[in-house]
Amino acid sequence: MARMERRVWDLLLILTAAPHSGDVVTSALRLSQAVLDRGGSVRVWACGYANMMTQDTFGDTKLPNTRDPEGHYPSPSAVVQRMIADGDGRFGWIACTACSEERGAVHHVPQVRHRSPLRLATTIAGARQTLYLGGA
Amino acid sequence: MEAQTAATGTTAGAGAASYFLVESKGNWAGPNAAAFLADAAALAEAGHRVRVFLVEDGVLSAVGTDVPEIRRLAEAGAEILVDDFSAAQRALSATTLSPHVRIAGMDLAAAALTEDGCRGVWH
Repeated sequence: MARMERRVWDLLLILTAAPHSGDVVTSALRLSQAVLDRGGSVRVWACGYANMMTQDTFGDTKLPNTRDPEGHYPSPSAVVQRMIADGDGRFGWIACTACSEERGAVHHVPQVRHRSPLRLATTIAGARQTLYLGGA
Repeated sequence: MEAQTAATGTTAGAGAASYFLVESKGNWAGPNAAAFLADAAALAEAGHRVRVFLVEDGVLSAVGTDVPEIRRLAEAGAEILVDDFSAAQRALSATTLSPHVRIAGMDLAAAALTEDGCRGVWH
C-alpha cells in the first residue's frame, strides 16, 4: 500500500498567551525568525487570545504613535503576513477554530490556516520539536 | 554587565539525553521558576546534557553573584545562558550577573532546538 509522505516541520510553537500578557509573543516571533534565518521551518499554533493577533481588521499599521507620528509600526497581522511571505513556505501560522469562535475572532488574514483543535495532536506529530509558550 | 563564559555543558554519557530548557518566569511570579531550575539541575546531576536559557523575566534569576539555583546548575555541569535582548530590555547592562552564566542570542536557542534528539521545554 502506498503511503503519503507527510511534511515534517523543524519547530512547532503552541502560543497560548494573550498578546498583551508579557513578552511571550516577542519571544515567539524572535525564535521563529532565528530558526528561519538558519534555513529551518516553523509553525505557530495560535491558541486562546493569541488568535487576536491575526485579525484582518487591524490593517497594516498600529495606531499612530503621538511621540513618533512619522514612524511606521506594523500591526501584528502585518508582521505575521510578512514572515509568511518572506519564509517562502517555511513559516506557517495556524488559528485554532474553537478559540477563534469563542472570542468572535474569526476574521483572520487569508494567509492564516484554520484548524480544529482536534487536529492539534496531528500537528504536533508533524513537527520534530514542539514548545508550549505562555502557560496553560 | 559582568558575565563570563560558562562551562560547555554537561558531558553526556551513553544513554544520556540532551535538554534545552527555557525559563521565562521571574522569581516573584511564584515558586515555579526555582522549581524548574531545580528540575534542570536534577537532570544535569543525573548525567544528562543540560542547557538552560533564561529569557524574558527569567533573566532576573541570573542577577547577583551567588544565586543558589544558578550555582547548583553550574556545579552540576549545566550550561546557563542569558538572552541578550531580554537582558537589555531590563537594563541589566549595569548589573552584576552570576559568573556562571553567559550572554547568548536567540540564534543559539534556534540552533539547539533544531538539533537532532534535543528535548526542548519552555517554561
